[in-house]
Amino acid sequence: MLKVEHVTKYYGNFKAVDDLSFEVDKGEIFGLLGVNGAGKTTTFRMIMGLLDKTEGKITLDGKTIDYSVTDNIGFLTEERSLLTKLTVKEQAIYFGALKGMSNDKILERLDMLLKKFGIEEYKNKKIKELSKGNQQKIQFITAILNEPKLLILDEPFSGLDPFNIELFKNEILDLSKKGSIIIFSSHRMEHVELFCKKLVILVNGKSVLSGNIKDIKEKYRKKNIMIRCDIDKKELEKIKGVEDVIEKSDELEVKISSKEVVDDVFKLVSNCKNVTKFVVEEPSLNEIFISTVGESYEK
Amino acid sequence: MRSKLNFLINVSLKKKIKSKWFLVANIIVAILIIGIINIDSIITLFGGDFNSKTKIYVIDDTNIMYESFKETIEYYEKNLYGEESETYEIILSKESEEDIKKKIEDEEKSSILINIYYDENNNMNAKLISLSTIDTYDYQLISSSLATTASINVLNSIGLTEEQYNKIMNGIDIEREIIDENITSEDEDVQMIMTSVFPILILPFFMLTIFLVQFIGSEVNDEKSTKSMEIIISNVSPKIHFASKIIANNLFIIGQVILILLYGFIGLKIRDLVGGNNIMNGIGAEVGNTISMLSKSSIGDKLIIVIIFAVILMILTFIAYSMIAGILASMTTNTEDYQQVQTPIMITLLIGYYLALMAGMFKGSVFIKIMSFVPLISAILSPSLLVLGQIGILEIIISILIMIFTLFILVKYGMRIYKVGILNYSSTDIWKKMFKSLRSK
Repeated sequence: MLKVEHVTKYYGNFKAVDDLSFEVDKGEIFGLLGVNGAGKTTTFRMIMGLLDKTEGKITLDGKTIDYSVTDNIGFLTEERSLLTKLTVKEQAIYFGALKGMSNDKILERLDMLLKKFGIEEYKNKKIKELSKGNQQKIQFITAILNEPKLLILDEPFSGLDPFNIELFKNEILDLSKKGSIIIFSSHRMEHVELFCKKLVILVNGKSVLSGNIKDIKEKYRKKNIMIRCDIDKKELEKIKGVEDVIEKSDELEVKISSKEVVDDVFKLVSNCKNVTKFVVEEPSLNEIFISTVGESYEK
Repeated sequence: MRSKLNFLINVSLKKKIKSKWFLVANIIVAILIIGIINIDSIITLFGGDFNSKTKIYVIDDTNIMYESFKETIEYYEKNLYGEESETYEIILSKESEEDIKKKIEDEEKSSILINIYYDENNNMNAKLISLSTIDTYDYQLISSSLATTASINVLNSIGLTEEQYNKIMNGIDIEREIIDENITSEDEDVQMIMTSVFPILILPFFMLTIFLVQFIGSEVNDEKSTKSMEIIISNVSPKIHFASKIIANNLFIIGQVILILLYGFIGLKIRDLVGGNNIMNGIGAEVGNTISMLSKSSIGDKLIIVIIFAVILMILTFIAYSMIAGILASMTTNTEDYQQVQTPIMITLLIGYYLALMAGMFKGSVFIKIMSFVPLISAILSPSLLVLGQIGILEIIISILIMIFTLFILVKYGMRIYKVGILNYSSTDIWKKMFKSLRSK
């Protein structure tokens, strides 16, 4: 289990991370969300031991993370971190050896992963000759070469097309099933929703929302109602508790402040003609994120 | 499990050795060194002839100058180029000046004509004729020989006794005495030689230090600019990473020194096989004289000690320079920034080099002696002063101890900067950040 307990980090007088705590169990995928400069990369760097914490404690299976355990950790940075003059094979041997792997093991894993990602032919090509997407694949492959116990993925899907996102997703889920602890950050909430059971939203280094996604969505009072019928948009807007009505092709999306408003909307809709749809939906993670981050910024 | 330090050293060394730059640079250096050592054979191969004698035609209207001029020029030639030398062929000519001039113009283009005659006031004159400009050494040799010959003739003409004549010609015997019993006059000769030879010996140190500083800077910058530094440092400590850079680059430089010596050795072997020509005889004789003088004199033993201490001091200084280069490179994000922050290293290196060059000129200067203890500068200045007899073994040992202490400081405080620097991607306030990181632990 990865435990982050009351971690704080100052850069001079600037507080980059403020009393952050969370836990991630074996096989769990955890989302660390936040806008740019929220403290995600600083948190990752502290977990990796690249930065010293000002306060707090970070442990993996009860042990402080230091160079004695980093061989079991995989790390994918937000920006490309490959030695572009090397070939794919040389790069894999370089990073694999730094994880304490033997050459045979590295090459065995590399061949398997290159095949899985459909890029076997690039094994002896220089990294600088590869496309952005393929470089990202190589970066991901080098991060998981050692079948890590703890895998940290900072924006893993940047530069990838939907097909490759699916490949990455399958591999991440595979590692999760094998018991790896996976933490990742992304700006794309639909990706976070795809994998994560738990998350933390950071604003200015401080956790403003955390827990299970299911619980978060349930606790989140605001709901959306999708309606398809003959109704005047203005009539809906008059109902107390309706925050916004958005026209979406032949449907209306009614944003309500709490589920108690559903009955009032339903009453109005039931008097209309041609009602073919009335669905109450949970808000998307994106909405929760924007709403939470927006509120915290305003504070 | 393989050692990560060894792995990083191997990667760094292999990267350099396998580079096209290394191969091309070494081919050029090898060709240059072997070529310079065998330059006479190469020129001969393309048609040059160093064995041909320079013909000097003499028209002697005075009828008294030729014999003594021939003897004098041969005497000077043997002193200058060695006993076996036959560089000049002196020919007494009965032909007219015009005929010989025509001969030089048409056939013997490198020959020289000297016409010695009396003018209307009965003063002896000489006219030197050649097709083109003549070598400075040849000109000096001819003019000195003519002057000496004229003096001899004048002395002969005024009716001196043999005893008086010999007294004038023998000059003065100088007896040298040095009060300090530890120093012999041979040491003085060696010092005179080393004053001119040492600047050549320290040039490779100067050049290799510049290479070392560049190698480390570009390697650290390469890993930083590609952001692979984060992955590397998440797997190995900054201490191991730093050590790998220092060890790998110093091993590479030492390897390069060995290769340069090897090229020199190959060049000499080739010279032995093909046989050198006269052009090198002068230099060869000088080197031979120097070596024999060194082996005969007491300074030969002293030089071995100087070499040992100089090598120790130079290796320590290589390490110190590479550490400083690594520390500075860690704070920069690209090669352009690094070029700027390495300026202090280059200035220090230049100060050391020029002080070592000028050490012989400032004999006894307290300033130079103090500077010889200054770390980084001491590596080239201390051995220079020791060879010149301005400092003793004790002083050079003190320089080594100061250098070791400097390395300790660099390891202790430099690591703090390096640890913070390698993950710093901002190029503003580099020096401020550097001093600030000294406070971290």
